[in-house]
Amino acid sequence: MATRNVDVAVVGTGPGGYVAAIRCAQLGLSVAAVEDDRPGGVCLNWGCIPTKALLRNAEVVNLFERAAEFGIRLAGFEANYAEAIQRSRRVADRMSKGVEFLFRKNKITLVPGRGVLKSRDTVEVAGTGGNETIQAKAVILATGSEPKSLPGVPIDEKTVMSSNGAVRSERSPKSIVVIGAGAVGVEFADVYAAYGAQVTILEALPRLVPIEDEEVSKELARAFRRRSIEMKTGVKVASVTPGGPGVIVETDAGKVEAEQALMAVGRGAKVTGLGLEALSVRLDRGFVRVSPRMETSVPGVYAIGDMVGPPLLAHKAMAEGVVAAEAIAGRSPRPLDYGNVPACTYCRPQIASVGLTEAKAREAGREVSIGKFPFTANGKAVALGDTEGFVKVVADKASGEILGVHIVGPEATEIIHEFAVGRTLEATLEEIIHTIHAHPTLSEAALEATLGALGQAIHI
Amino acid sequence: MAITKVVMPKLSEAMETGKIIKWLKKEGDRVQGGDILAEIETDKADVEMEAFGAGVLRKILVSAGEKAPVGTLIGVIAEPAEDIAAALASAPAPAVAAGAGAASSARKDTRPEAAPVPPTAPAPGQPLRPAVVSTPAPAVPAVSAGAVGIPAPALTASTAVATGRVKASPLAKKIAAQTGVDLRLIRGSGRIIRRDVEAATPATVTVATAPVTVAAAPVTAPIVPGVEYEDRPLSQIRAAIARRMPLSKAPVPHFYVTSEVAMDRAWELREELNALEGQPKISVNDFVVRACALALLKHPGVNASFQGESIRVWHRAHIGIAVALEDGLITPVLRDSHAKSLAQIAVEARDLAERARARKLRATELSGATFSISNLGMYDVTEFSAIINPPEGAILAVGSVRRVAVVDDAGLGVGRRMALTLSCDHRVMDGAMGARFLQDVKRLLEEPLRLLV
Repeated sequence: MATRNVDVAVVGTGPGGYVAAIRCAQLGLSVAAVEDDRPGGVCLNWGCIPTKALLRNAEVVNLFERAAEFGIRLAGFEANYAEAIQRSRRVADRMSKGVEFLFRKNKITLVPGRGVLKSRDTVEVAGTGGNETIQAKAVILATGSEPKSLPGVPIDEKTVMSSNGAVRSERSPKSIVVIGAGAVGVEFADVYAAYGAQVTILEALPRLVPIEDEEVSKELARAFRRRSIEMKTGVKVASVTPGGPGVIVETDAGKVEAEQALMAVGRGAKVTGLGLEALSVRLDRGFVRVSPRMETSVPGVYAIGDMVGPPLLAHKAMAEGVVAAEAIAGRSPRPLDYGNVPACTYCRPQIASVGLTEAKAREAGREVSIGKFPFTANGKAVALGDTEGFVKVVADKASGEILGVHIVGPEATEIIHEFAVGRTLEATLEEIIHTIHAHPTLSEAALEATLGALGQAIHI
Repeated sequence: MAITKVVMPKLSEAMETGKIIKWLKKEGDRVQGGDILAEIETDKADVEMEAFGAGVLRKILVSAGEKAPVGTLIGVIAEPAEDIAAALASAPAPAVAAGAGAASSARKDTRPEAAPVPPTAPAPGQPLRPAVVSTPAPAVPAVSAGAVGIPAPALTASTAVATGRVKASPLAKKIAAQTGVDLRLIRGSGRIIRRDVEAATPATVTVATAPVTVAAAPVTAPIVPGVEYEDRPLSQIRAAIARRMPLSKAPVPHFYVTSEVAMDRAWELREELNALEGQPKISVNDFVVRACALALLKHPGVNASFQGESIRVWHRAHIGIAVALEDGLITPVLRDSHAKSLAQIAVEARDLAERARARKLRATELSGATFSISNLGMYDVTEFSAIINPPEGAILAVGSVRRVAVVDDAGLGVGRRMALTLSCDHRVMDGAMGARFLQDVKRLLEEPLRLLV
């Protein structure tokens, strides 16, 4: 069996792993990256990126439907779901190839196969083209996560799908039950609804996107209702069985039948079969436990991304990858500020948030001032014909500290960053309002909401 | 080895120039970091200037008696073999030093973040020193005596760094303003952020208990209608107090012991003494100073400083006596109080207080106290507690002598009582030790003839 000697072995090339590998290489370390699927991991291949392509399709379909609003008469159009999936595959392929290119550019060796930690400095790879052993001074584990299901509900990726199946399936169901109203659930609900499916969302908690601010959940529910997406919140799924048009979902509030069901109840860390047990790498509630430098309980073994715990977000994984790489290279990386990780959901209207929700801020005993500005009062949004939603700023009343910002509406996911930057710099409301915002932009809503928190909003 | 440029230190907010009183090292002398290089006269006090780098004092550029603007190169420390031409080249010629130096110091004042800041906090009681000082920033050299005259070695580089603009996040600035924390006191890891301010915000960082002049600065509300407040600039001394006090109150674990002293006999004795012709007038405070001096000799554990790894017990009682000024307070030191008679104490304490008010104290009179006394008796204060001046281990707060109803064997009568509150550094001593000391002070004051023998 061949043995390869490197400074760093990275297991998994998702957004955490490939960023860690590149950062290590930039810092002069030799790197071997092990991947048993395609470079780029779930994010680029089966998650973030292809779903964004699908959501863009959904948006285009919606614009075609609204063509008359813009004075454009169509003699009818056909939206082909299979072609939407095919487009999303091309997008994903391109991104995955981009990772391969970056690896070549940074002289990172891509080792195809499944990596197992044999000791703190040895990774054994069961590869398609034979086995090999990687001897490394440090190991970064970045194996990510996989969709969870409900107890007793097997996922066959045909009638009962996870996001893994949904992102591949070219079939557009006439009806689908989406179980779970987190980011994955509401995004697929949006896509399927745009392509004409009757969508029913089931959520055990009392509202959609339950980790977001309550007002955001309400606004999203209102938007979905307008698009005839059915929503049942606060319901518990008892069983998912084949039957009816495809699948029957029994809940404590009646049963729902549909062609397909999509399980979107969350993701679990991939921590088994990696050799963690034999090395006694400590876990904590199913995730690998790490220090602020991303080092596990075994010195020299680092872990990043979804496998180390929430938020299960690609950008968090990337940031952790940089921290791990810099720690290995002997730098003193600044630990992540987990309270300042933006969260983005790309359904329509988009949702983006950073920091505390109003409820959490109040729970934390903060005396808050709230500023809220609707996109209906924003010139750019009106011109775009995209006026759903608002920007909501939660600030500390005394200091003006920006405790949290919650945006639902057009390009929410792009607007959020001024607040993320502001929070990193410890800007207060005042610094935001003294920053001139270009007119007309959607970002003006951010300025107005901030002014609102100071009782100074101009345009409302 | 780095070449160390010695620059005129900025010792207070308003200081623009300093005068070299004398160089304590001459060209060619080998110096260690911490050695006193020179004595410098400022608008407020004479202070000693420490060396930061080790090496040989190769060049003195501003000689004794001359003035130089803050930030001006006044000397160079380097190893004998090193070429100091480059360092010297940056020095303006002495003749034009004033103009050029002032301009450069003004420029630098706006950017003190360029000053080297020690990366880590020093052990308590150990002066802060930048590891390498080779930037001629105005804020660099430390002073061995605090500008206010609170004799403490702890505040050197941080005081110096405290001059000029502070680099802090907007949120940090706002929270600091709301909680009364002086940002200039805080050492962040570079730019000060919220966490740094919060870490420096104990419940009590105010200087409320320090004796301050009540009568001064008439509080005339502005007559402009609708103006709710005004922001008064800090005087130099107020700024220094604001900097210094939290450095005591926050890190020094204070505890307080209070006792009431029957002052009837001391009062009578004082009246008798003051009736004697040709004798100096003696104040109640002089009695307290004398009593403390004697008690400190007996209780050296109270006359002690926390040194991090050890406790320094002083065998001499140098007592700092807080003197209220219009814009703050200053604590001149009555050296060897234990060896002085009541009359001597009375004369010297008065002289110190008068010169303190006239700002004519020498640096040596502002440093080196081993214990302090703060007396608010003249303000009809029943009792109060004071903040310890590090590195001293204790400070005695003296209230008014009040006429109160007392019950004794003879029944109900009128007596004179005075409250004493000892603030103690718990790292140095415990409650019982403080209490025993206070008991002795009380006994000495209640049997005041002991103060005369």
